[in-house]
Amino acid sequence: MDKIKFYEQLAKILDIEEVKAENVLKDFEAWDSLAVLSVLAMADSTYGASIKADEIRSVVTAEDLAKLVESKKK
Amino acid sequence: MKCIFKNKKVSAVISVVPKEEYRFDDEYPLVKLTEDKAKRFKKMMSLDRHRIAPPDVCASDLCLYGLQRLLDEGTLKKEEIGALVFVSQTPDYFMPPTSNVIHGRLGLSHDVICLDINQGCTGFLLGLMQAFLLLEISALPKVILLNGDTCSKQMNQCNRVSYPLTGDAGSVTVIERCEAENPIYMDVKNDGSRHKAIMIPAGAYRNPSTPETLKLHEVEEGMLINEEHIHMDGAAIFNFTMGDVPPHIDEILAFSGDTRESINYFLFHQPNPFILKQMADKLKISQAKLPNNIVSLFGNCSSVTIPMNMTYNCGEQLQRESQRVCFSAFGVGLAWIATVMNVGPLDVCKVVDYERA
Repeated sequence: MDKIKFYEQLAKILDIEEVKAENVLKDFEAWDSLAVLSVLAMADSTYGASIKADEIRSVVTAEDLAKLVESKKK
Repeated sequence: MKCIFKNKKVSAVISVVPKEEYRFDDEYPLVKLTEDKAKRFKKMMSLDRHRIAPPDVCASDLCLYGLQRLLDEGTLKKEEIGALVFVSQTPDYFMPPTSNVIHGRLGLSHDVICLDINQGCTGFLLGLMQAFLLLEISALPKVILLNGDTCSKQMNQCNRVSYPLTGDAGSVTVIERCEAENPIYMDVKNDGSRHKAIMIPAGAYRNPSTPETLKLHEVEEGMLINEEHIHMDGAAIFNFTMGDVPPHIDEILAFSGDTRESINYFLFHQPNPFILKQMADKLKISQAKLPNNIVSLFGNCSSVTIPMNMTYNCGEQLQRESQRVCFSAFGVGLAWIATVMNVGPLDVCKVVDYERA
C-alpha cells in the first residue's frame, strides 16, 4: 500500500496540510465521528478494506491507521 | 426470505410534509458547531434544509391528512378501505394502536382491519409486504398503508450528528388487487445480533424511564443526548450499508431476472447523500437512476423516505406511465429489504404540505 498517498488522503479528510506517521489522531481538531466515517468510506472505496467500529477506536497514530487499512486491504 | 406476490398493485401514493422548513445555515449555531466544522459537515452530508413538525403534530396527523386528501379528491372512497396498516416508530400512544386511533378519527366501519407495525427504515417495504398478504382476504377491497415518523422528537436539537439530518413526514399508499399478474419480487432479511447499532436504549420496558434516563450528556462537542434518544453507531451502520446492501441488490436482480439496464429507477431509503453516493459508486449505478436528494431537501424521514423519493422525484412520471423499480431499504433491526416491481401509472403520486384542520 502506498503510505504516502494514504497520509495525503488522511490530511485531506482532516482538512490540514500534512499528516505524519507518528501523529496521534486524537490530537487533530477534526478527528471526530465525521472524520471516522470519511476514513471508513475512503478505506472501502480506495482500498476495498472493510474496517469495524471497534478497530478504528483502537488505533492511536496515523501509522496505526495505515497498518490497519493495509491489513484489511483486498 | 424471498417472496413473489402476484395480481397486486400500488394504485396511489401521497406524501405529506410539515410546512415548517429550517435551513442548516440558520440552525448550525444551535448545535455549537464552529463555522469551519459546519462547512465541512454541510459539504460532506450535502445538507440544506429539512421539515420539522411542530410539537403538537404527530406522525398520525400527517398520515391522516394525506388520507383525507385522497378521500376529498375522489381518489378513494371510505367503503373501499378494508385495512389500515400504520407503520411508525413514533406512535401517538403505547396503547391503543395508532391505526385504531386513525380508524376512530375517520369513522370507518367496524369491518376494517387495524394493524400497527413498529419499524423504521424498512417500514415502507415491510408495510407493502403486509398489504399484499392482507389482500389474500377476498372480501378486502383495498389496503391503506400509512407510513409516518416524527423522529425529530426522538433527539435533542443540540445533536449535530442526528438533528440536522432528520426530517418528519407521513405518506399514504393505496394497495389493491389487479387483473394482470404483475409479479412483485421481494427479499426480506434480518440480523438481530446487530440490533444495538440503531436504538433508543431506555423508555420502554427493558430499561424503564427514570429521571436518570432523561438526563442529557455531552458525548462529543455539539452532541447532546439522553438514554431516551436515538443512538446510532455510525461505523457499524456504514459497515452494514456498504457490506450487506450492495450484494443484496445483485441478489434481488438475479431473483427477478433483471439487470441494471432493465430497471428504470433504484429508489432507495435515504439515510444521507454521503452513504447513497458511496453505494451508487459501489453498485456502478448512475445518480440519475439512484436519486439521493431527499435528505438535503426534507431530511431523513425514516420509512417515509421511499414514498418521498417516489412522489418528489418521480411523481409526474409515475402518474403517466409504468416504471420498473428496484426498491431497497435498510436500517433499524438490523433489517434490509429489496423489492423489484412495476409501479404506475398511478392515480396519484405527489407531495403536499400538511394543513391543520
